[in-house]
Amino acid sequence: MKKNFSKPLYYTLLWVTSLLFFLPVFWIFLSAFKTKEQVVQIPPDWVFMPTFQNILNMLKDAHFLQYLSNSFFISLTAVTIAILVSFLASYSFSRFKPKGTDFIMFVLLSIRMVPGAATILPMYLMYAFFGLKNTYVGMIFMYTMFSIPFSVWILKGFIDGISTKFDETALVNGGSHFHIMFKVVLPQIKPGIIAAFIFNIIFVWNEFLFNFIVGGNKVTTIPVALATGVVSSQGIEWTYVASLSLVYTLPLIIAIYFCQKYLLVGMTFGTVRGEV
Amino acid sequence: MYSKKKNEQERNTKTNSINKIALRIKNHFQKNEMKFAWYLLIPVLSFFLILNVIPTLWMIGLSFYKYSLISAAGPKFVGIKNFIDILSNNVIWNSFSKTFLFVLMGVGIQTILGILLGFLFWNSDRLPGRRFALTFLFTPMIIAPVAAGTYFKLIYDPTLGIGNYFIKSFFGLVVNFLGDASYAFFSVLLVDIWMWTPFMILMTLAALGSVPEAELEAAEVDNLPWLKRLRYVILPHSKFIIMLGILLRTIESFKTMDLIYTMTSGGPGNATELIAIKLFREAFASFNMGESAALALITLLSAIAFTSIYLFILQYKEKKV
Repeated sequence: MKKNFSKPLYYTLLWVTSLLFFLPVFWIFLSAFKTKEQVVQIPPDWVFMPTFQNILNMLKDAHFLQYLSNSFFISLTAVTIAILVSFLASYSFSRFKPKGTDFIMFVLLSIRMVPGAATILPMYLMYAFFGLKNTYVGMIFMYTMFSIPFSVWILKGFIDGISTKFDETALVNGGSHFHIMFKVVLPQIKPGIIAAFIFNIIFVWNEFLFNFIVGGNKVTTIPVALATGVVSSQGIEWTYVASLSLVYTLPLIIAIYFCQKYLLVGMTFGTVRGEV
Repeated sequence: MYSKKKNEQERNTKTNSINKIALRIKNHFQKNEMKFAWYLLIPVLSFFLILNVIPTLWMIGLSFYKYSLISAAGPKFVGIKNFIDILSNNVIWNSFSKTFLFVLMGVGIQTILGILLGFLFWNSDRLPGRRFALTFLFTPMIIAPVAAGTYFKLIYDPTLGIGNYFIKSFFGLVVNFLGDASYAFFSVLLVDIWMWTPFMILMTLAALGSVPEAELEAAEVDNLPWLKRLRYVILPHSKFIIMLGILLRTIESFKTMDLIYTMTSGGPGNATELIAIKLFREAFASFNMGESAALALITLLSAIAFTSIYLFILQYKEKKV
């Protein structure tokens, strides 16, 4: 089929497709460099003098900096903890297969399939009861739980793929279990770790509902700020939405650019280990 | 691995007594190993227990009570009244059927588009700047749904939006995408399709990548017609990953919440009130905790049904491999 295309035409088609999907995002990003009037101007100015005022204003805003650092702190900490504990668990599942392994794995995955709105209610009641609302500990633990199922699935798939010969050799040579786990197995499943990390970061980074309901002014992350903090007396502050989206999406776009081949591993819970 | 070691040990030991001792040592180690295995599980299991089991039990308990956060009256036991109320409530059935339609249409269109575009991107290895192109292609699925949803409100706006500007200049009419109950559902669906078609493209690319090069070449040599090639060479290898993609999308689509919340909050009226939004509104706008808990439980059971299907297919694959 593709042989009927001439190469340049085929490549142009691919690029056009990619850019078409990117277009709405580009439109958002473009608005970050427009003035308030230009954003809602119809017909739009196709050529305009970019202004950096929106971004400068945003960077000067103490709230924004707090939201952004919350986003970074909460998502990075939560996913790191999740991957660490998931590594321990998946090593156990993979090597010792304790009773009920399949069942635990199933239940872990199924909680991740439940709509957030269904689990947020009991969470809310429990957090209110224990005073965990609007605390970093509460948010981090919630997102850790959020990231555990996929991490366990991805990492177990990877550890299963490492021959037990390595473990046996280390054991015979007097290595402890922890030595085997961290010095023998861990270095070999680096791609799995990166995949699990990237995949869960995308979810936690963009998560809105949980932070909205059980968070508070102290632990607000950017998505919540986006959804709630953008309405002023003149309606929605579009330039603010745009510049916030720009600053917030860029780190992920850069991460995707560099970790493209790990994306797929995460998307399929490690059942597929190919490259794109 | 340990059973293999056991076999070797048994084969090597000549006398019974040594055998017995070896067995005892092995048992000892195995017991310790099992203990160790469970120690490793403690962190995950405690997270699971505290943040999932307890809240879920709490919710199950609550679903049998009448309990409103805004009234002074405490929880009152009402038995299965909440469930009966929900199952006999037209609004909730309406939400369920809307969700069903949303999932069916959304995932259906994403799959068809994704597979077509996936085929287009097949063998694009030499595309200049391929990494950039793919990054652009995948951006819709990594942008925060909240951000996309909020901004699409502007794009869809009847007077200020670029979307309507184009429609007006080409067709001379104005569409109130989100404000009109008959369009709102499809407008939201369109954004969902934009966001998640790249995912299906990614899955299709992966699926096509798993077709062995040799078989494709053989088909080329035999000059097999395109349809037969698809049926006998490509599909058998790529079926599983595409199925996986469809299932994942189905599950995720069932949960769609932030996108719709920011675009329409379920409105106008309840035109876009999918089950996740309904749940949210019930719990945090009307504060009917008992009834929302019952609704959440019903949703949870449907989600578990989805997961079972998913895992069934996974295991089916494992058996085949």
